[in-house]
Amino acid sequence: MTPNIAIVHVAIPHWGTIKAWLPLFLLWIPAILLSPLIFLVILAVCLAGRISPWRTIASFWALSCALPGTDVRVSTEGNKVLVRIL
Amino acid sequence: MNENRRQILEMLAAGKITADEAERLIAALEDQPKPGNGSAGQEIQPKGKPKYLRVLVEADESMTGNKGLTTVNVRVPMQLLRAGVRLASLIPAQAHQQLDDALNRHGVPLTLSQIKPENLEELIDHLEDLTVDVDGKDGNATKVRVFCE
Repeated sequence: MTPNIAIVHVAIPHWGTIKAWLPLFLLWIPAILLSPLIFLVILAVCLAGRISPWRTIASFWALSCALPGTDVRVSTEGNKVLVRIL
Repeated sequence: MNENRRQILEMLAAGKITADEAERLIAALEDQPKPGNGSAGQEIQPKGKPKYLRVLVEADESMTGNKGLTTVNVRVPMQLLRAGVRLASLIPAQAHQQLDDALNRHGVPLTLSQIKPENLEELIDHLEDLTVDVDGKDGNATKVRVFCE
């Protein structure tokens, strides 16, 4: 399943906190609208690099589908960053 | 009370074994793995396949130069690693030689063209058994843990 939502929390002392839920599923709309263009770009790049465009699409699709569950938290000097992909 | 334990105590009461022997037998019983809730003699279920690779880092000021403790907590799905290593198959053939040379220069004697998808699967499978624990010493509070869960 492709990622649906990304949760981003950024906390910086004396500045503030950002808590954002990014609806990644909305990216499907521009992706579908621009799909002919995206396909042509992928095809051109793959032909230039002499690699299979189907394999390229399959690899990036697998990468995209594997993203949910990723969780990165970093904190230092009171600064905190959290990125979760659901 | 456990049936085996009762038998040992009965043998001790009957004078068939000494108190030391009874103690050793009971200790041996306790060392045996306990059966689960299922029927006796049921095989232990294999541990489920890990789903995530975790990297935990705690570094103190002496390590990072930043004030206070710096922590990094990363959880990466194993599927993402599998998909990531498959990207290596997208490297154009003409770039393989350049990459091999660069890796050799940095002390990594690896030939990318010899890596097959089945090797990568094997690599990820073995990664599931990986556990790395690094603790700083002499007052250095740096800790690194890499494991699968």
